[in-house]
Amino acid sequence: MYFKGINSYGDRGLVLDFGDETSKSISQEVNEAFLNILNLNLQSLNIVPSFNKIVVIFENSKIRDQNKDKISMEMRDTNSQTNKKVTKIWEIPACYNEDFALDIKIIQKLHQITKEEVINLHSSVRYYTYYIGFMPGFPYLGDIPSQLITPRLATPRVKIPARSIGIAKNHTCIYPRVSPGGWNIIGQIPFDIFDLQSTKPSLFLPGDEVKFFSVSLPEFQKIKKHNFSLNELIKEYSS
Amino acid sequence: MNSIIITRAGTHSTIQDFGRFQYQHLGVSPSGAMDQRIITELQKIIPNHQNQFLEFAYVGPSIKVKEGSVKICVGGNCNMSIQKNNNSQLECHPYKSINLFEGDELIIHNTIDSVYGYIAFEHGLGLEPCLNSYATDTKAGIGSINRSLNDEDIFHISKDVNSWDIISIPKPDLEKVTNFKVYPGPQLQYFSDNTLQSFISGVFTITNQSDRMGIRLKGESLISSKSHDILSEGILPGSIQVPSDGQPIVLMRDIPCTGGYPKIAILNEVDISRISQLPPETKITFDLQTIY
Repeated sequence: MYFKGINSYGDRGLVLDFGDETSKSISQEVNEAFLNILNLNLQSLNIVPSFNKIVVIFENSKIRDQNKDKISMEMRDTNSQTNKKVTKIWEIPACYNEDFALDIKIIQKLHQITKEEVINLHSSVRYYTYYIGFMPGFPYLGDIPSQLITPRLATPRVKIPARSIGIAKNHTCIYPRVSPGGWNIIGQIPFDIFDLQSTKPSLFLPGDEVKFFSVSLPEFQKIKKHNFSLNELIKEYSS
Repeated sequence: MNSIIITRAGTHSTIQDFGRFQYQHLGVSPSGAMDQRIITELQKIIPNHQNQFLEFAYVGPSIKVKEGSVKICVGGNCNMSIQKNNNSQLECHPYKSINLFEGDELIIHNTIDSVYGYIAFEHGLGLEPCLNSYATDTKAGIGSINRSLNDEDIFHISKDVNSWDIISIPKPDLEKVTNFKVYPGPQLQYFSDNTLQSFISGVFTITNQSDRMGIRLKGESLISSKSHDILSEGILPGSIQVPSDGQPIVLMRDIPCTGGYPKIAILNEVDISRISQLPPETKITFDLQTIY
């Protein structure tokens, strides 16, 4: 139990505080609370979880104050409940081919390991989706094996290809679309994880678990050609 | 069928509405009109605006009726004129509806002593919403049009104008405010009493490095006594964050969804609209509200 309390954020926001640390167990509590608050169907504009906070945004202070008690009550109830599992487990194909693994040599050199070791390590762990942010659909996944922990690029790249897999510090990520960014790029996935045409546009939700499995370039091309929709991806790659 | 063509896009012209909500936990910013007071006023003149407002900054767009006719209204403080299809010039004013017929061109020259202006169109611009909103976030590539408007963009408005009656409202009193009452931010305690005193007594200048994402201020350096690097957390428009150079940034409508800088204070909703209209070099001050 990490929940510390609820504070005001200006005249129309609330911050649910789960302390100053970060860990998977803190995030699990945050994301569970996030889903519970989402299910309250409050008159809120946005509910934003992150490593150790949940920010809830309302249209004005009156609506904020009317809803604060409901959130307090929910947080009291949540603490006495055993966790309700609604999150998904994903198995995501990843191609670590040199055409995509733009920065894999940086990681090899830093940790004195082979390319195969980087691939085996990265695809050996089931990652936790801490939260989604930075850009639409961008998942912060972690924690990566300690032998892969690598700082951000000294000079961020101006253009990272869409669907790239990155590593920075103890996190790994997928860039949903072309973007500038400072993560070390080690591979690519063969489909989009964010679809603006869908009412549920993000493949991943905070709290989901994600494991990568290595695929060859021909397999990657084959999956890419299939052009999966988000709904098909859910059937194909989650359990 | 009625259609209009953008003959000059102007700078930073985008489609906006009151904002895109319920998606910030997926990394989608609320966006929406920078000055929401103006589109609220325009609703009174063009009630059937379909939430598809054209926002412009500094240099406005020029719009020509290609086919049919349209009814529009401009909001904000700006210079504008109409070039009729018979080459005569017609005077026109904000907050008064304008009827435009085939060949007529509305030319919005510029905003006066302000930044943003808006155009409302009867029956909208024939656009489809994206994630339940028409707002554009050019950095994220999201919107009914996912970019700024370009020259030659064409909009089709299938419905015909219902009534050509000229409707106007008194020019709203959107007084220029340069002193802002702010609430404590979530990381107020990251700043010493002395630094908070500098924040309250200091004068900050709006710089030209300001856009729909944020307004960068220049003034006395606000150095945190704790850290300028926090674990990223959800943020609201109007938050005043302070990176390690000590120069505050007021986060605006296209906020990054989470942020890793301490937030010293936050503006109230109407002040986000007010501050958005202050051109670069405007000097502003802050008052910290303690009870909220």
